[in-house]
Amino acid sequence: MRLPLYVLTVGGGTLVQCVLGPAVSIGGVSPDIPVVLVVLLAIRRGPEAGCLVGFALGLVADVLAGGPLGLHALSKALVGFAAGALPRWFLVSRPVVPVTAALLATVTDGMVRFALLQLFHYPAPFGELLSRVIVPQAGYNALLATVAVVVPTVRARG
Amino acid sequence: MHDLLARYRKYSLLAVVLLAGVSLLTLQRARPDNGIWLADGIAFVTAPLQTVAERLHRRAVTLWTTYLDWKALRAEVVRLRTESTALRLRQLRQDELENENQRLRGLVTLHDRLATRTVGAEVVAREWNGFTRGLTIGRGRLDGIDRLAPVVVARGVVGRVAVLRRSSAIIQLLTDPASSIGAVVHGTRAQGLVEGVAGGRLRLKLAAGEEGVRPGDLIYTSGIGELFPKGLPLGRVLRVYPPAGLFRTAEIEPAVDLATVEEVLVLPRGTTADLGAAFP
Repeated sequence: MRLPLYVLTVGGGTLVQCVLGPAVSIGGVSPDIPVVLVVLLAIRRGPEAGCLVGFALGLVADVLAGGPLGLHALSKALVGFAAGALPRWFLVSRPVVPVTAALLATVTDGMVRFALLQLFHYPAPFGELLSRVIVPQAGYNALLATVAVVVPTVRARG
Repeated sequence: MHDLLARYRKYSLLAVVLLAGVSLLTLQRARPDNGIWLADGIAFVTAPLQTVAERLHRRAVTLWTTYLDWKALRAEVVRLRTESTALRLRQLRQDELENENQRLRGLVTLHDRLATRTVGAEVVAREWNGFTRGLTIGRGRLDGIDRLAPVVVARGVVGRVAVLRRSSAIIQLLTDPASSIGAVVHGTRAQGLVEGVAGGRLRLKLAAGEEGVRPGDLIYTSGIGELFPKGLPLGRVLRVYPPAGLFRTAEIEPAVDLATVEEVLVLPRGTTADLGAAFP
């Protein structure tokens, strides 16, 4: 049951990002749907699942984006592992935890990628990238995570 | 006596009725006007009832006719709506085909004007994750495309081929932060670099001493570095910032709306000819 779920997450996440990502961009900022998926899966299934799925999703993203292979794979694997290793006393069943995790995960993912891109002389200044890409994307991802987590919770209670 | 009447009651009744009828007939035959008072009396009672009955009947017929008309009208409305929706969809498809036709005609015209070999390709995917800006096209190495080959559309430069695969390629857009293209300002001939900026924008970097650049000035490729031929439109100056250190920057509006690019032309790598005449 786990393997099909992971395969579905990787395939579906890639498809959704490729098809919907550019279509739902606001002011040039599009969500990073794979990060949201990795975080939500990691919180439910643990650090190993988050790490593996993050790596697979990131690898596919590297191939599609055309950048250095392993860039997204590494950053999303790290983020997936960290999200899955959240201490249990964070009460991960509370909606605010996955939403905050998605926000922080996006910022972390962006910073890790930027740090790795310096090996390839990526020219964009960090401040510009942070203010124009990473932070807006983190907000967008938090919004998506809210919809993905809060809506089913409210429905279940109702 | 009572028994007799009871036994023959029905026959008695018949006899009385027959007698009354014959009497009436006889009376009217003798004097035609005589029966009028009786007829009037009867009519006095029956006429209102008749009128009410007739009105009710007419009202019922009208309602039924209205209902039938309404049904027919409703069916007609549904049919017209369906037809209208189908026509609208067909119109949308035709508009889309017309737009595609115009784009492709533009590319064909550009191909004819460019005095060099080109490869046409369709955009199959977009990557907008903010760090890198790219398009994936459905042509690759097998179609004769070179790595770092310039990519253009009728309005100007789109970018260059960054990753080349067998039958696909990823184009690094000129708005990618890692993109840097030699540029020249039309009119002043000021030389600079057009660079992508995080968030999908474009910037022109000039020497601090270049003061002749104004908003509205057109920017073209300079041909320096031999990655892009000379004369390809890059964009238009939106605003110029004061110098900071050795450089001065200007914000550029790209010549091409990169979000709507559907088909591109890939030029051969290393083309040095001035291709400005192909972009009026």
